[in-house]
Amino acid sequence: MKNITNSFEYFSPKTLEEALKLVSQFDKEGKDFKVVAGGQSINLVMKQGVIAPEAVISIKGLSDMDYVKFDEKAGLKIGALATHRAIERSSVVEKKFGVLAEMEHNLSSVETRNWGTVAGNICHGDPGGDVAPVLIVLNANVKMAGVKGERTVPAEDFTLDFYETALAHDELVTEIQIPTVPPNTGVAYTKFSQVVGDFALASVAVAITLDSKKDICSDVRIGLGSVAATPLRAKKAEEILRGKKITDDLLAKAAQAAMDESDPTDSVDASGEYKRELVGVFVKRVGKEALERAKKA
Amino acid sequence: METKYSVIGKPTGNVDGMAKTTGEGKYTFDMYLPNMLYGKHVRSPYPHAKIISIDASEALKLPGVKAVITGKDVPGGKWGLWRRFRELCDQIALADDKVRFIGEPVAAVAATTKDIAAKAVELVKVEYEILPGVFDPLEAIKDDAPLIHEDFENNINATRHIEWGNVDEGFKQADYVREDKFTLFPQAVVSMEVHNSLASYDKGTGKLTIWSSTQSPYYLQLGLADALKMREGDIRVIKPHVGGGYGGKNSTMPDATTAALLSMKTGRPVKVVFNREEEFTTTEHRMGLHLAIKIGLKKDGTILARECKIITDGGAYTGLGATALYLAGIFQTFPYKIPNWRYDAFRTYTNKVWATSVRGFGAVPTVYAAEVQLDRAAKEMGIDPLAIRRKNLMEPGYEAPGQYKVESCGIVPCVDKMAERIKEKWPKLEKDEGIGYAGFAYMSGGIFNWIDTPYAYSGARVQVNIDGSVDLFTQAADIGQGHNTVAVMICAEELGIGIEDIRLHPGDTATAPVDLGAWGSRETLMNGNAIKMAAGQVKQKLVDLARAKLGENIAYDLVCREKRIYLELRPERGYSYYEMVEAAIKLNDGEPLIGTGHYTPHNKGMISPAYGMGIMAMKAKVDRETGLVEAKDVLIVHDCGQVINPLGARGQVEGSVHMGLGYALTEEMPNDNGLVLNPSINDYKIIRQRDMPQIELLDVPTYDPSGPFGAKEAAEATISPTAPALANAVFDACGAEFDSNCLKPERVLKAIREAEKNQKNKAKAKK
Repeated sequence: MKNITNSFEYFSPKTLEEALKLVSQFDKEGKDFKVVAGGQSINLVMKQGVIAPEAVISIKGLSDMDYVKFDEKAGLKIGALATHRAIERSSVVEKKFGVLAEMEHNLSSVETRNWGTVAGNICHGDPGGDVAPVLIVLNANVKMAGVKGERTVPAEDFTLDFYETALAHDELVTEIQIPTVPPNTGVAYTKFSQVVGDFALASVAVAITLDSKKDICSDVRIGLGSVAATPLRAKKAEEILRGKKITDDLLAKAAQAAMDESDPTDSVDASGEYKRELVGVFVKRVGKEALERAKKA
Repeated sequence: METKYSVIGKPTGNVDGMAKTTGEGKYTFDMYLPNMLYGKHVRSPYPHAKIISIDASEALKLPGVKAVITGKDVPGGKWGLWRRFRELCDQIALADDKVRFIGEPVAAVAATTKDIAAKAVELVKVEYEILPGVFDPLEAIKDDAPLIHEDFENNINATRHIEWGNVDEGFKQADYVREDKFTLFPQAVVSMEVHNSLASYDKGTGKLTIWSSTQSPYYLQLGLADALKMREGDIRVIKPHVGGGYGGKNSTMPDATTAALLSMKTGRPVKVVFNREEEFTTTEHRMGLHLAIKIGLKKDGTILARECKIITDGGAYTGLGATALYLAGIFQTFPYKIPNWRYDAFRTYTNKVWATSVRGFGAVPTVYAAEVQLDRAAKEMGIDPLAIRRKNLMEPGYEAPGQYKVESCGIVPCVDKMAERIKEKWPKLEKDEGIGYAGFAYMSGGIFNWIDTPYAYSGARVQVNIDGSVDLFTQAADIGQGHNTVAVMICAEELGIGIEDIRLHPGDTATAPVDLGAWGSRETLMNGNAIKMAAGQVKQKLVDLARAKLGENIAYDLVCREKRIYLELRPERGYSYYEMVEAAIKLNDGEPLIGTGHYTPHNKGMISPAYGMGIMAMKAKVDRETGLVEAKDVLIVHDCGQVINPLGARGQVEGSVHMGLGYALTEEMPNDNGLVLNPSINDYKIIRQRDMPQIELLDVPTYDPSGPFGAKEAAEATISPTAPALANAVFDACGAEFDSNCLKPERVLKAIREAEKNQKNKAKAKK
């Protein structure tokens, strides 16, 4: 039986600078520490005894990082402390990035969404996280800062392995940047779970951009969740659709390719084989929905 | 609605609602005492092993550790709930010779903080000799299987054979016979409040007080008396608010015994609180079982015979599992007339945490099999599933020879009302939707007395004070189901006052008369009768006094209503309740008015004095590509006698459907050689609010002569039909058949493909 409690030092910096100093210092000292924003993922694994850090740095006090901003040129900017609930209820998100709000609506419970942050969700590096597949198809970037400076990586490259991300120990994610959705683009997302709000057995996000005649697929991005060690971009499936007129047959071929690209494992709830089938079903369904939306866009 | 009652039958908010909602109401979980220590268990990592040695020396060196106890420190012997059969009292506070499941407590520590207790647990060194384990009932009964309890050959813990009519003859006369096999999975209890107890032993007087999250203060008192070798009366059990029990808090569990033992050893209050993982891996659950069922019918759908055999996965101990074995048989026969019936049941020991009573106590898995089989038979015979049920329904006065008699019985009007309502409610189905039915019934408390109590099954005491306020004492347990509200409503109705006039003193063995606790849907009927009797005694005094003062003769009837006592036919002639109370106490030499009540069913058969019953219809939609089943809409027509609190009854029905849907769709406890693989709320999937279907509940009230004001069961019956109604809806939608509960999407998808294949083969064969 694992302990559910362990004692740890607790730090609550008030500025980004202060926070970055702390992580840099602890990293140099080789201290086992964790950064926590909303705490919805970390608390869970700490309770389960999966991790037992010596120190916890809460960045909840960096209140100027709690924002959701939009302008046509720069697109959407989500500060590190913006909660799921803030995204779900943002009018600009609803208008311009509706798929994000749809995703948030089925992310766990209202209580979790009130506390949990979008940035924290991706930093956790859970391949079953709800956020990543949608960010991938929206072509998002993740901005990180350290004492030495800032850098940005595409969302699709952010998760490296099971619970492992591109974020260095002495860095913090400061912002998620999502470019304005191009014209003639439809984006859709579905998470398949047994109970509403649960972790996905499989999730699929698809963004389709049509040419000006709304006929040919000029660009497409397909993101998969829960079916590999990381959230995945199904590039081979995209290749099948790109530059073509999307038909049911073509979608079925893309679905097959996405199934081949995914690499799900067995879990208590379902076999890997079944999860792979889900990828096929939902690439077709979500692809169709994205196509419909692109036609209406 | 016109009613002769002024309190009962009216939707009434829970009397504990404000306290609980604001957080003022205290659960054991919230309590602490000055100088309190925290107890924690050292648990076995092996499913079956001999304990060679336990070395606590390192743990005792840790600052803050006040005591470590092992099986050798347990003064008492074994205990259990089947006290009439001592060999089935097989539980023990801390394992002394061997462990029988992963997580079984072998030692316990008491320390000044939770953290220190947790660290100390890791410092206790236990040496084991690992024994081979057995994890499936069919393996457990083999001759070469390891014995879990030495005295139980082939690991058979309990058996049941019940038979009436002539089953073989019934099958011979049948036009249609079919046999099916099922495996039903266990279901976890998952109460919001975990098992926890706070014990305080007074070394001076040798008396123990324990606050505990229990369904039955009396059962806990009995269990502790056996485990601690103490007199029942020297143990005071207090049950604060309880955050759910569902059957899993009837047994005396190690939270209570260990808190008590550690408090006795240290002389300080000790609290033991299980965490969620301990809840999943070391506390009781609904039994899993293998089942074979055979039915024989006449062409017109009349049931002639049924035979059912089950072998259950009992786990390491008995709990209330032997009772579940009995009820699993009996309630499978309801609400139908089955003239020839045979039931053979075996409960086996396995190296897992044990199975016990869980909401729907026994009935849930066997009703599933029976109701699912009935639909398969109906389909093959070309009979409508509701019609085949209508054909076989019990009627008032129906008797199952030697077992039970059903007095009030509204099932026929229930099914007729269902047939009518269905037409308006669901005139047309969408693609891949189906409707499934299941009938149901459940007891209003059990008549059997395996606990071997010499007391009446329920007791209550009413004290009316000079200002008309009432103190009501009973051990009856509100564990979240709302009995405290029902109790004061019944008392208020009988005395003709309001619920605000009553202060309830529930769940304390030192101040209140015995009640056997909240299990088997017994409190409304059994405790309700005791309360009605106690209040009735006081009422009689008031009525007699009023009649004397009015100078009326004996033929005139008086009633107590709305705080007045008056002539029923001349309401203007009477007195206020308060006036009469004051006069009666003055006449009584200043003694408050006391009424005592008790209830034990007599001449009501073996099972229960009364049965709640009804029929459920479920509309579900199937996703043929993913196998996801959506429970869309539920219609229930229900006879629970006179409804005492419609709000409470509705809450109970909805709660049952909720737990039933979990059983139907998502809840499963996969186990690998004794290890529970999903011991967290994250991994053990419980239906959430957003997954719940709409529930329409229609009442067909009856009056049961055994119930207080005619009331009977409302808390459990509707769990049993939920899973079969859902499975039948899926069967209706796409023909998929299931030999288990828990219709997870992957399982459903497989069944859909199987059904599609069979349909194709049949079509080919026709050509």
